[in-house]
Amino acid sequence: MKRKTTLGVTALGAVLALGLSACGGGGAATPSQSGSAPAGGGAKAEFNAALTQVFNPSDKKGGILKFANAGDWDSLDPADTYYGYSWNFIRLYGRSLVMFKPAPGKESTQLVPDLAETLGVPSDDAKTWTYKLRAGVKFEDGTPITSKDVKYGVLRSLDKEVFPDGYTYFNDTLDLPKDYKGPYKSKGVNTDKAIETPDDQTIVFHLKQAYSGFDYFAQLPATIPVPEAKDTGAKYKEHVISSGPYKFDKNEIGKGFNLVRNDQWDAASDPNRKALPDGYEVTTNVNADDIDNRLLSGDLHVDIAGTGAQPATLGRVLTDPALKANTDNPTITRLWYTSINGNVKPLDNLDCRKAVEYAADKVAYQTAYGGEFSGGQIATSLLPPGIPGHQDINPYPAGADNHGDVTKAKEALTACGQPNGFETNISYRAERPKEKATAEALQQSLAKVGIKLTLKPFPQADYFALYAGKPGYAKDNKLGLAVNGWGADWPDGYGFLQQMVDSRVIRETGGSSNISVRDPEVDKLLDQASLETDVAKREPIWGQIDQKVMDDAYILPGIWAKSLLIRGKGVTNVFYSEATGMYDYLSMGLQ
Amino acid sequence: MTAPLDVSGTELEAAPEAVLAGAQGKAIQGRSLGQIAWMRLKRDKVALTGAGVVIFLILVAVFAPLIVGWLGHPPNDFNQDLISSETLAPKDGTGIGWDHLFGVEPVNGRDLFSRIVYGARISLLIAFLATLLSVAIGTILGVMAGYLGGWVDSVISKAMDVFLAFPLLVFAIALAGIVPDSAFGLSGDALRVSLLVFIIGFFNWPYIGRIMRGQTLSLREREFIDAARSLGARGPYIIFREMLPNLMAPILIYATLLIPTNIVFEAALSFLGVGVRPPTATWGGMLSDAVRFYTIPHFMFFPGMAIFITVLAFNLLGDGLRDALDPRAR
Amino acid sequence: MVTYIIRRLIWGVVMLAIVSMTTFAIFFLVPRLAGATSDSLAARYVGRTANAEQVKIAAERLGFNDPLIVQYGRFAKGIVVGADYNYGPGVERCPAPCLGYSFLTRLPVWPDLLTRLPVTISLALGAAVIWLIAGVATGVVSALRRGSFFDRASMSIALAGVSLPIFFTGIVSLVLFSYGRPFAITAPGGSFTPFFTNPVQWAYSLLLPWITLAFLYAAGYARLTRSGMLETMNEDYIRTARAKGLTERVVVFKHGLRGALTPILTIFGLDLGLLMGGAVLTESTFSLPGIGKYAIDAITSQDLPKVMGVVLVTAFFVVLANLVVDLLYAVVDPRVRLT
Repeated sequence: MKRKTTLGVTALGAVLALGLSACGGGGAATPSQSGSAPAGGGAKAEFNAALTQVFNPSDKKGGILKFANAGDWDSLDPADTYYGYSWNFIRLYGRSLVMFKPAPGKESTQLVPDLAETLGVPSDDAKTWTYKLRAGVKFEDGTPITSKDVKYGVLRSLDKEVFPDGYTYFNDTLDLPKDYKGPYKSKGVNTDKAIETPDDQTIVFHLKQAYSGFDYFAQLPATIPVPEAKDTGAKYKEHVISSGPYKFDKNEIGKGFNLVRNDQWDAASDPNRKALPDGYEVTTNVNADDIDNRLLSGDLHVDIAGTGAQPATLGRVLTDPALKANTDNPTITRLWYTSINGNVKPLDNLDCRKAVEYAADKVAYQTAYGGEFSGGQIATSLLPPGIPGHQDINPYPAGADNHGDVTKAKEALTACGQPNGFETNISYRAERPKEKATAEALQQSLAKVGIKLTLKPFPQADYFALYAGKPGYAKDNKLGLAVNGWGADWPDGYGFLQQMVDSRVIRETGGSSNISVRDPEVDKLLDQASLETDVAKREPIWGQIDQKVMDDAYILPGIWAKSLLIRGKGVTNVFYSEATGMYDYLSMGLQ
Repeated sequence: MTAPLDVSGTELEAAPEAVLAGAQGKAIQGRSLGQIAWMRLKRDKVALTGAGVVIFLILVAVFAPLIVGWLGHPPNDFNQDLISSETLAPKDGTGIGWDHLFGVEPVNGRDLFSRIVYGARISLLIAFLATLLSVAIGTILGVMAGYLGGWVDSVISKAMDVFLAFPLLVFAIALAGIVPDSAFGLSGDALRVSLLVFIIGFFNWPYIGRIMRGQTLSLREREFIDAARSLGARGPYIIFREMLPNLMAPILIYATLLIPTNIVFEAALSFLGVGVRPPTATWGGMLSDAVRFYTIPHFMFFPGMAIFITVLAFNLLGDGLRDALDPRAR
Repeated sequence: MVTYIIRRLIWGVVMLAIVSMTTFAIFFLVPRLAGATSDSLAARYVGRTANAEQVKIAAERLGFNDPLIVQYGRFAKGIVVGADYNYGPGVERCPAPCLGYSFLTRLPVWPDLLTRLPVTISLALGAAVIWLIAGVATGVVSALRRGSFFDRASMSIALAGVSLPIFFTGIVSLVLFSYGRPFAITAPGGSFTPFFTNPVQWAYSLLLPWITLAFLYAAGYARLTRSGMLETMNEDYIRTARAKGLTERVVVFKHGLRGALTPILTIFGLDLGLLMGGAVLTESTFSLPGIGKYAIDAITSQDLPKVMGVVLVTAFFVVLANLVVDLLYAVVDPRVRLT
């Protein structure tokens, strides 16, 4: 009820704002001061204003939106990108079959058709999914997009040697010919039993086993059409052929790129995109503090990584009401946690793992990640509150003040046969100061019960492929604990849990994000859930899995992440999308 | 420093002043170069200040556990009760007080004073050992090149050219980055310290080597060497008994001047994240943490000043030594 | 003169060969000494779905199983005639001069370096002009007014200057002059504008890094110039020049400075050469997308072919700078004869 009222006010505000801007037409477009109500204000500039509604709504076209990235893109290629911000941004130059609705708050988790006319039509057993493409959609060079381009895009994404960064959902679920290695290596192999294209507008996916949530797969960037004739394999990322409203103009990998309007894009074929700015300018590998400062000064519109303000900025923003009013503080569907590796003695013993769970200082964990605002909420289990199926459980209460329960931890150590504690190592990604701080914090709090940790930093690029994520290496080098984190691929139990707790994703050659959960029961529950087509019956299973993994004590949950997002000055249509865990990049415009 | 038997350059160097002193009616008194240098150094207040600071720093590093026992807290202990859980900054801004002389770090509240004190250990240890290594290699190869001449000289000189063409820092970071956590029978801090000493020391020798070569070349042509040779002295005797004592002055000067360079080098490597592993405190590492919290300036100030004061003190001392030992090199 | 240049050029090439061989050997040997195998090296390039057998095949195809000599030979050949990398969907061509090929980004290194060189050269040259003028001028004035207040003050500042690490001064200057300050004089942060696009913006975005870098070097040059000047001004030929009745200005600039400048030129060449190959600390402090930042980013992602490329480019600049310096010697110092 309350929510409805707020929305009503918003709409009214928007109308007023439209009127105002019409009256003031012709005046110089000065960027509004932070704190005062912006000229196009649908929501007042206040803390969390863009969380559940559109802030500063407008339909004004033009201008160049400036984005900056503190790191480098994993890849611009739809087959090879696995960063949340990249999936958010890619919709500007690529259209997948289905997408998350570009709308604020909860509404953003709804799937809506994009390249397809409707959501997927499943067969009765949910093993076959059919999509019909919209008519009149073209690539940037004017060639019409057909279902074969979509099929080709999916097939090429299967080649993980060429595209190592991406997910493996399609590899795992499509009913592919045996030993199929993608269109580059398995040239000419008939793949119709996996993906059929009966005509240019229709595409049919055949799965190995029923999966009720296939529409979530269909929103993955891999379903963005790729013209086979223009595919340059690993080099395609240098110039992706656009199917969306913008196309690449200049692209210098490692430095940045810019997008300009794609004149072949037809608004009539696309109900989801506003395409307000005339272009986008993206700089990569920029100093993170510099990004914050430029955001606050108005030099820059969006910090694309969407992970929130840097620690140095916190003090400045949180203590200044005017600056704070231009921020949003959502809880995102990401868990920062520490893997407890049961392959390393004495952590093969459940009680020793429990000792770690009890002894950990959760407040220190939270502070290491940035405190209450930019760190997150102390987590007591795996599933973040935003994921359906979440239930409030706390199997290992960390004492009254969350600083760790020394008594319980010592009891567990005694039960494990190590009453004086033991020694093991903790690995973390060297380039991540927050993970370093976490490792230091755990070292401090576990030392109180006699568990001695040695810090082992590893380069981020190879953390999963060669070190913590490689079972042999982790075992030989006694990496008992590994600082880790996981964000939902999409806001659903499967999208959150599968890559994190399914023991079958662990490979001897390394590279999986799950590095500690090995429980056949959990695998069974996952299978059961993905076969279950009834949502009401499916969602409780996620909760069961959560409980089971916690009972196994393979994961020490740290915090459910929050981020302090700064709204860029003069940006219109700013709103937080729960599906991506950051601002929606599709609808933004400039005043 | 100078042997009494040394009939060589020492007396020659000392002669003019001795004569001058005699001319003013005082008794003629032979003074060794060392004595003269010490007299000059005593008059140089700036250099003495530098020396005082250097000695102080060495004492601090050696007695770090004691000092921290009296005045601080264990360097790796958290004091999170002093930290705001919203902004991560110390609740009163810095945390500076009698309990924490330099305040506390944001996030975990570790005592900055004790981390600075412990950081001095790593900094000085690595800088000294690396300098020792450079000086040893540089002197041996430099003297060989200068004394033996011919193809030995050209090989060593060309090698020095090659070394000087290396982008030292890039190379050092890459090397420190690819060496894993335990290797060559070492692990942990011991491995990192040895590795840094090796990298810094090994790539800096050509600077010392060039100077030693030049000095040896000019010494070789001096009369006292000819005299020793005509008396039947052989190569090793000439090098060790005649030349090395005369090279002690430049060795001392350039070693003193190389130490600050190496301190900055170590700090740079720690700053870039390839130094000694956390939670061990290093000045460069603290500075790199502090960058993320530039809005909390005391965190950056203390490690920055620690590096600055240490480097400055060694530079002052080195300059003073040079003026005292080699007055023409002003 | 010509034979001298040719001889120096040949030696330069030899030197580059030695540098590349040493670098290659070290990067080849150290990981292996530390326990890496050709399979574990290949594992990171094959993606997450690869099994042990696929890793083996990839290691073979990428040539990781070959002995050091063979791998180096391939690399050296690539520089001269280009190379083909059998990688992924097909064979990737890396045209000459192929300074390596990154298996992580699947791009040849040389074009990357070319796009970053303008940044580094702009940074190095701009800073060099500032520090040379400021350093030499301060040094000359200090030497001429030895013992004066100016001499003492400037030498103290210079001593402080050489004692402050760039990553400290850099951050302090960013905090004071850039980060969200009302009098922000620059916005570097990766926003490099090429000179030919907009010279004003170019200078503006580089101003702070220039000054910070130049401060460090100017301090050293001021000290060097001062001591050099003091030494030459005591030389006999200066006395002769004065005795001839030349004006003090001519004596100082034509005779004194010339003598003092020679050693400075040597060091200047080496410094500039090294900077051209990437001012690692300055570029990473100011996030300037130059060669040095490229090297740091490459090291972070353990992309050794890129690091190799940077090492070689830097060595090239040092060799070149040395050559130029030696040629300039002949111009500045008439006593030097090139043979």
